[in-house]
Amino acid sequence: MLSDLAGYLVTGLGTGCGYALIGSGLVAVYRVTRVVNFAQGAFAVVGAMCASSFLSVLPHGIGELAAVAVAAVVGLLVGLLATTTTPQSALIVTLGLAVFAYAVEVLVWGDQPRSFAGLPGAVSIVDTRVQAHYLLIIGVTLPVFAAMAMFFTRTDTGKALTACASNPYAARVIGIDVRRMGLLAFTIGGALGGLAGVLVTPVQQVTFDSDVTLIVNGFAAAILGGLTRPAVTLVGGLLLGVTQALVAGYGNAAHQTEIALGLMIAVMIWRAIRRPETQEAPA
Amino acid sequence: MKLLLLALAAGTLALPAFLDTEQLSIYILAGLAAMVTVGLSLLMGHAGQISLGQASFYAIGAYTAGILTVHGVPPILGLLAAPVLAAGFAAIVGVGVLRLRGHYLAFATLAMQLILLSVLAQSDWAGGAIGLQGIPRMSVGGFELDEDSHYAYLTWAGLAIVLVVAHNLVKSRPGRGLRALATSEVAAAASGVPVGRYRLAVFALSAAFAGLAGGIYAFYLGYLGPGSFPVLLSVEYVVMAVVGGLGTLAGGVVGAVAITLLVQALNDLGTQPGMPSYAPSVLSYAVYGLLLVIVVLFLPRGIVPALTRKERT
Repeated sequence: MLSDLAGYLVTGLGTGCGYALIGSGLVAVYRVTRVVNFAQGAFAVVGAMCASSFLSVLPHGIGELAAVAVAAVVGLLVGLLATTTTPQSALIVTLGLAVFAYAVEVLVWGDQPRSFAGLPGAVSIVDTRVQAHYLLIIGVTLPVFAAMAMFFTRTDTGKALTACASNPYAARVIGIDVRRMGLLAFTIGGALGGLAGVLVTPVQQVTFDSDVTLIVNGFAAAILGGLTRPAVTLVGGLLLGVTQALVAGYGNAAHQTEIALGLMIAVMIWRAIRRPETQEAPA
Repeated sequence: MKLLLLALAAGTLALPAFLDTEQLSIYILAGLAAMVTVGLSLLMGHAGQISLGQASFYAIGAYTAGILTVHGVPPILGLLAAPVLAAGFAAIVGVGVLRLRGHYLAFATLAMQLILLSVLAQSDWAGGAIGLQGIPRMSVGGFELDEDSHYAYLTWAGLAIVLVVAHNLVKSRPGRGLRALATSEVAAAASGVPVGRYRLAVFALSAAFAGLAGGIYAFYLGYLGPGSFPVLLSVEYVVMAVVGGLGTLAGGVVGAVAITLLVQALNDLGTQPGMPSYAPSVLSYAVYGLLLVIVVLFLPRGIVPALTRKERT
C-alpha cells in the first residue's frame, strides 16, 4: 500500500497542476477586472481540442503552442464582451459565452471525447510505474508559475496589472489604461486555461462539456487564496489534486468529486464567517 | 388587468383539449419549467441571490416522488412530499451556503448539484446510474391519471399554486423586506428586516416550487435518471429567468414558455432531413449562450419589464 503512495502523489500533483493553471487564469482575470470568468474552463477545452487537430499536421511542441495561442485569442474575445458591463453581470455574460462555446466545439470537433498522445513511456518511482507525462505537466507548470511571479513583480506591464488589481482608480490616475489591462488579463487567462487543457488532455480525455469539472476544480484551487493570490492557488490546486488521487487510490474513486467539492464549500463558508467584509455586493 | 389574467388562465386551461401528444408534452414541460423559473426569479430578483443549482431541487422533488411511490406509498403523498423534502434540503444546505454571496454562491450551488448527481449515480436506492424505473402513474382516490392531458391539467394546477403563493409573498410585508434586501442588505437590516431568515425562507420556497415541478415530472415520465438533471438544466432556468425579467412573476412564466417554445422550434429545425445529427444540440447551445449574453448586455431588466415600461411612456 505504502509503495503506491509515491505514484498517487505524482499523478495527484500532475492533475493538481492542471487545476492550478485554470485557477490562476481565474485569478489573473479577477484581480484586475473583479470578473469571475465562467468561460475559464472553456479556454482549456478549446486549447485541448485545437491541439488535437493541430497535432495531426504540426510536430509536438509547435502544435501545443499554437493551441495555447488560439486559447489566448479566445480569452481576448471573451474579455472584449465581458469588460463592457459590471462585474456582477459579467459572470452571467461569461456563463452565456461558455454555453455558446459548446455550440462551436460540437460543430467543429463533434461531441465525442478527444485526446492526443503526450510524452510517451513511464518511469518508476519507488517501485510504482507512473506515466512520464505527469512529470512533464509538473515540469511545465512550475516554471510557468515562476515566470508569472517574475512578470507581475519585475516588468512594467506586470506592475501595471498589479496596480489595477490593488486600486483601479489610482491606477487610472497615474495613466494606466485599466480597460486595456483588463483585456490583457483576459488574454493571459485564456493562455493559462489553454495550457491547462493542452497539458492534461493526454492523460485525461476531454469532451466539450468537461469545462464544468475543470472550472469548479480551478475555482476550488483559487478560492483558498481569495481569488487574488496566484501562489496560494498553486498550493490549493496541488492539494486538491493530491487529495483526489489519495481518495481515489485508497478509498473509492467514485467519491473524489464529493470530497473535493465539499472541501471547496467548507473553505468558502469558513472564509465568509471569518472575514465577512471580503464579501462583495449581491449580484 | 384582472380580466386579462382570468382570460389567460381560462385559455391555458382549455388549451390541452386541443393539443396532440407532442404538443401536450411541450405544454407540460413549459409549465414545469415555469414553476421552477418563478422560484428562481424570486430568488434572483427579490433576494438578490444567484443559484446555478436550481435543477438539483427539481431532481430532489422528482426522486422523492419516484422513490416513495415505487415503494408503495400512495402517489398523492409522494407528490406532496416532493416540495416538502426539496424545501427541507434547501433549508439545511442554505444555513451554510447562504452565508455566501454573488459568485461564491453561484459556485457553491453548482458544486451542490454536482455532488447530488454524483451521489444519485452511485446509490442503489436511487437506481444508480441506470435510473429509477417503473414509477406508477399519478392517482387520486382510485382515479388514475393515465392520459397526457391529465398531466397537463395537473401542471396547470401546480403552476397556479406556485403563482398564487409567490404573488401573495411579493405583496406581503416579508416580500417588501426581501425587495429591500436585494437592493441593500445593510440598509434592509438597519430597517429591521431579518435578512438571514428571509433569505433562507425564499431559498427554501424556490426549492419547494422546483420540488413540486419535479414531482409532477416524475409521474408524467415514469422514469428518472441522473442524466435527466444536468448542470445545463440549471443554466437553462437562469436563462429563462434572466430573459423573462428578474423579480417579476410574469417574467418567470414568459421566459420559461418563450425559451421552451424557441428550443422546440430549433429542435424541429435541427431534426429536419439533411441536417447533421448534432444540429439540435448545437442550435440550442448557441441560442442559450447568445440569449444570455444579449439580454444581459442590452436588455438587463429582461423582456417583461422592458415591455411594460414602454407601454407606460
